[in-house]
Amino acid sequence: MEATRAAASRQNTFAKRVVRDFLLNKYLYLMMVPVLAYYGIFHYTPMYGAIIAFKDYTPMKGITGSEWVGLEHFKAFMGSYYFWRILKNTVIISLYSLCFEFPMPIILALLINEVRHQLFKRAVQTITYMPYFVSLVVICGMIVDFTNSDGVINTLLTYFGYDGKSMLQKQELFRSIYIISEIWQKIGWESIIYIAALMGIDQEQFEAARIDGASRWKQMIHITLPGILPTITILFILRMGNMLNVGFEKIILLYNPAIYDTADVISSFVYRKGLLELSWSYSSAVGIFNSIVNLCLLISANYISRKVNENSLW
Amino acid sequence: MTKKSKLISVLLSATMMSSFAIACSKQDAPAPSNSGSSSPQSGATATTYPIKTDKTLTYWGELPGNLTGVKSSHQDTPFFQEWQKKTGVPIKFTSAPTNQAKEALNVMLASGDLPDMIEFDFLNGFPGGPEKAIKDGYILKLNDVIDKYAPNLKKYLKEHPEVDKMVKTDNGSYYAFPFIRGDADLMVYQGPIVRKDWLDELGLPVPQTVDDWTAMLKAFKEKKGAAAAFSVNSKPRVFNDFDNGAFSGAFGVTRKFYQENGQIKFGPAEKGYKDFLALFRSWYADGLLDKNIATIDTKAMDSTLATGATGATVGNAGGGIGRWQPLVQEKDPKAQLIAVPYPVLKKGDTPKFGQLDQPYSPGGMVAITAKSKNVELAARMLDYGYSEEGHMYFNFGTEGVSYKMENGYPKYTDLLMKNPDKLAPAQAMSLYVRANYNGPFVQDKRYIEQYLALPTQRDAIKIWQKTDMAKYQLPPITPTPEESSEYAKIMTDVNTLVDEMTLKIILGAEPLDSFDKYVEKMKSVKLDRAIEIQKAALDRYNKR
Repeated sequence: MEATRAAASRQNTFAKRVVRDFLLNKYLYLMMVPVLAYYGIFHYTPMYGAIIAFKDYTPMKGITGSEWVGLEHFKAFMGSYYFWRILKNTVIISLYSLCFEFPMPIILALLINEVRHQLFKRAVQTITYMPYFVSLVVICGMIVDFTNSDGVINTLLTYFGYDGKSMLQKQELFRSIYIISEIWQKIGWESIIYIAALMGIDQEQFEAARIDGASRWKQMIHITLPGILPTITILFILRMGNMLNVGFEKIILLYNPAIYDTADVISSFVYRKGLLELSWSYSSAVGIFNSIVNLCLLISANYISRKVNENSLW
Repeated sequence: MTKKSKLISVLLSATMMSSFAIACSKQDAPAPSNSGSSSPQSGATATTYPIKTDKTLTYWGELPGNLTGVKSSHQDTPFFQEWQKKTGVPIKFTSAPTNQAKEALNVMLASGDLPDMIEFDFLNGFPGGPEKAIKDGYILKLNDVIDKYAPNLKKYLKEHPEVDKMVKTDNGSYYAFPFIRGDADLMVYQGPIVRKDWLDELGLPVPQTVDDWTAMLKAFKEKKGAAAAFSVNSKPRVFNDFDNGAFSGAFGVTRKFYQENGQIKFGPAEKGYKDFLALFRSWYADGLLDKNIATIDTKAMDSTLATGATGATVGNAGGGIGRWQPLVQEKDPKAQLIAVPYPVLKKGDTPKFGQLDQPYSPGGMVAITAKSKNVELAARMLDYGYSEEGHMYFNFGTEGVSYKMENGYPKYTDLLMKNPDKLAPAQAMSLYVRANYNGPFVQDKRYIEQYLALPTQRDAIKIWQKTDMAKYQLPPITPTPEESSEYAKIMTDVNTLVDEMTLKIILGAEPLDSFDKYVEKMKSVKLDRAIEIQKAALDRYNKR
């Protein structure tokens, strides 16, 4: 008797506490509604549509009316003549951008951090993040013009004995062009978050290190870098989750049949195959395939990171 | 996983929306027979325009390419405004971005929210072809509709059985209000073009054989300093205008399917294509072919011609010679572009292939959607283009504004031919007529007589007409829905291979002998099956 009453009062207090908390912070809860609605409407509801990957979908029949075909679209994709090539290209381009593009903003942030001249610092930041705001179509137009047989880059290189042929026609150059332009476009923008992280490092540590006689280089290795390591790890893990999502817009704007060998990736292939052939089901099958691989990579990166340096998303 | 691939999320959300739309529209069963404004009895009788109606129809289509940069919507274009007044039917237009009609159509179909009318090439542009579009429930089978509400089109088709055979599928389904070329002179418009002033200056004859061409391009390069003696547009496909057998025709193949001795052949898998590749490979190696060949678009093409870097290309009489002539003349007043015959191997031969349209020209056709509630009204309104009055309107526009009658001949006014706002005739024309583009009407020969203002343009048609293409050309055949999805899948792979092979071999990235390897690959993605499908469709066509 006593025990149940105690339980009841505990429940009572819990319910009361919830209600009180809700009333107390009702505006805060209200502010959460748009966010929840956003994820609900734009991220979770559409997941229902993913079942068209297992159907022979036509819009006029609707999702429920279309026939089930099982894993046929997945089989068609994986059995496709070009499957290995596009998977390879996607992974290679992703790995390249992980190796070459990912560290660049960190290096830039560290360099900017060492600059003491305020005006110069700001100028560098502004100039480096400017390209991020230029439309991708314009960027690609510039790249095509620059790499033409009579473009700026080729004209310069002919002095050093380059044969002056259009660079976008050479399959061995495509990945470099892609990654270099990617760095140029994003380095400034992506460095902002690291610069913010750098601001958060306790200045007293530097003072202490200086008193102990650490050089600028040593300070960077032993204080600055460890200071932003959590940020780096988190961004790295998040990036692993986007491994197979090589942006199709840029590839499509830059590639041509001569360089399909190195440039054709999953998303551009799906664009050519799925969107132009009205095969919605096929495209969503590829989308699900993509998401599953990405999810696996994300989880394993997170796991490894948690084991190795105790930094992780969850 | 916050950042999903854009493509996929667009597709998925479009999917979602469509499923709602379908769920909502299930109740109203489509009943074409009791729709429209006038009574059923008036069925077979001719429509009097303007029709009296309080309904507004919806229309989806691509804005004519010539209007790019001139007008941004149908609603702002005088032609489309006046069309509504003449027929009496108010229309709400939605336009697809130029050159992206296919992608835009895809998104629209996925949304499930279809307009009353869709202007799109359902014969070649729609994966699966017209029968599949009907079967999947996008567009309406028009046989009854044409019988009842489109007396003008019906009359035309009755008088022209050869056209009638082309505009329907094997099952005899009509699927769109077609664009028809009313005269043989309208069917040829594309071929090789060279700088005549250079030929004269260098004392060269008009090139006829492949060897003439090589010699000519060498001379252009060495004596005229042409950095890219030969250049052509490569967007969206490499050698975009070579489909009909320009140059490869000399070696007996096109880049498409064609028929020969009762068999269907696919050009790029035939030996002749290797010889064609060998020729272009040597041209590229010798610097006669544009170095940027893989990335040339129309803009780049315009500028290489205008700067005198290029002296030979393949293009159209109107949009090619007509557009480029003023450009080249600006730099060099003596410059003149002329059409030359499709090259052959032996002097005096007739070119085997060349560009040749059929009376039923894909593009510009308008279908009525299956869910439309205004079938009768839409059909009557589209039938206008085939009436006598509509014929004049589509081809020449409004009398007194865009044309004047002179001795019974409709003559375009200066508003079109010498536009006060400095628009090129092609652009000005597109504001008031559809004759220089396409649409649901019969094109009139009297348009081309005036549109091709330069004598060189008119000669071009005659020069390019002299080919044997008619013998080898495939009629507008229609695979069945099942066949055509399979066909479309095979052909995406095959065409990817062909584009890749063509460029790689020509650019020297792979040896000429890898051609055989590519042919093997084409076989492994089932080219033979595609040929089989084409053959079956051709047999059915011949039995129509």
